[in-house]
Amino acid sequence: MTITIHSGLSLTGRADWPEPGDPPEPPGIAGFVVSTFAPLVAAVAQRCLARAAAPPPATAIVIVTGCGDVASARHVAGAIDAGARVGPLMFFQSVPNAVAGHLAARYGLDGPVVCLSPAEPAAALTDGLAEAALLIADGDAGGALVIVAEQDPDHAYAVLAQPGGVGR
Amino acid sequence: MTSPAVAISGYGVCTAFGRGAGDLLDAAWTGRPAFGPVGRFDVAGCRVPVAATAPGLGGGPDDLRAELVAAITTAAAEAGLSAGELAGTPLILAVHGDPALARASDDDREAHRASWYAAGVAAAAGTGAVLRTYTSACVAASTAVAAAAAMISRSEAAIERIVVAAGYLVEPDQFAIFDAGRVFATDGSVRPFSAGRTGLLLGDGVAAVVLESPAALRRRGREPLARLRGWARTGDAYHVCRARPDGAGVSRAIGAALTRGGLRPGDVGYVNAHGSGARLGDRAEANALTDAGVRAPVSSTKSVHGQALEASGLVELVITVESLRHGRFPVNAGYLGRDDDCPLDVVDAPRTGAPQYALSLNSGFGGANTALLVAA
Repeated sequence: MTITIHSGLSLTGRADWPEPGDPPEPPGIAGFVVSTFAPLVAAVAQRCLARAAAPPPATAIVIVTGCGDVASARHVAGAIDAGARVGPLMFFQSVPNAVAGHLAARYGLDGPVVCLSPAEPAAALTDGLAEAALLIADGDAGGALVIVAEQDPDHAYAVLAQPGGVGR
Repeated sequence: MTSPAVAISGYGVCTAFGRGAGDLLDAAWTGRPAFGPVGRFDVAGCRVPVAATAPGLGGGPDDLRAELVAAITTAAAEAGLSAGELAGTPLILAVHGDPALARASDDDREAHRASWYAAGVAAAAGTGAVLRTYTSACVAASTAVAAAAAMISRSEAAIERIVVAAGYLVEPDQFAIFDAGRVFATDGSVRPFSAGRTGLLLGDGVAAVVLESPAALRRRGREPLARLRGWARTGDAYHVCRARPDGAGVSRAIGAALTRGGLRPGDVGYVNAHGSGARLGDRAEANALTDAGVRAPVSSTKSVHGQALEASGLVELVITVESLRHGRFPVNAGYLGRDDDCPLDVVDAPRTGAPQYALSLNSGFGGANTALLVAA
């Protein structure tokens, strides 16, 4: 396991989507339709957690995305502008919190759920880790699963952040 | 862990009752809802074409930006900030996103990132740089408040003052999504914790609050409107959007906020609940209050101003602050009678009192929960 130190945090489990050999789209997840955003977030999170140290109690989920689930937003806008009905499942995926809830339930992560838009694309991980550091220092989180995700083209990366600076 | 309190020194607000707090507070303290037929956009075909919308507002991105700027300007004026002081005060914004993103072309998409919308608001309002842009649904605003308080109370952050702003104006896309999800109140009324409650309704909400360290406020020779004594964020780890039925996540947030403020459950004199009017969600929140040992009078002002999504927590914080200052409890409008699933002391009629501490609770998709502890 590779441990990286960033601003007093230990980072493990660095994972990307896509990585060499990945299919064109991440696997779908039940209850999420139309868009690959939630599957993208879920796939990179699963890969990260499989590589990372064990998440501590009250591990937060921090999703960093500039534009969020653009595909779903465009689908809804297109339906409305065409005078068509919006499918009921769009309600469940209307905000990034939804896939965070999916991950929280699946992996037992009961820390804060935070979604934020990075100041600049290049600053996404830095912004996510700054939020993780704040949540941990403030006492509301024991660690944080930080996920950066954008669509078109779909790309995401994730890392598990915990307090402590022990290098290896 | 305990934390130093953070001062609330000014605010601005806009809801279905228009700009300013006067009519909003009068409606909250008398239990007068703002719900009515939606005239802002075409709702033909919607099951429940009802919301709480401000007359004269179109609800588009320019309207939202204008109301955010107005709220920030008002908050800064009430806090006694000069233009120069405001320019040196960073901004934290809570918003669903840039309302124009969904219809932007591929080439323009990057220009409609939520953080750049926030930067535009900061530039127009004359604040300092944007520290964060939170998009965490119905806890975005309260999460923003907690983050600001955490930054200010932590001396190593070296930040003495932050403007927190949040905004949602009822618009066609989210309205259609919620209507399709069949979560709107079918009788056109929001009845938190009540027997016969049928769901939620959306409402306009834009607010801004100036938070600063008590020492910085004293150096400026001013007194706080109220103090943020504690805050907490937790997760249910339960479901994509449904609340954990036993309310354990909310209960943990309440306990953590009280611990941070050095207070006990019995010290809480009023609870401004999340109280969306949803059958299961309200029951979960009632369980949380019971589990946390909080027996104070409870009301949800969403029964009056509606669910303002990413901004509701900040509107509700403003109402909570003024209710403590004036010794008046917000009324839980629409209450038909006790639901055995929600055994709470619901404020169903105008009531006065002198609580010193109040909790403001919010929950959102993904099992996100926040608790803000406000001191008079």
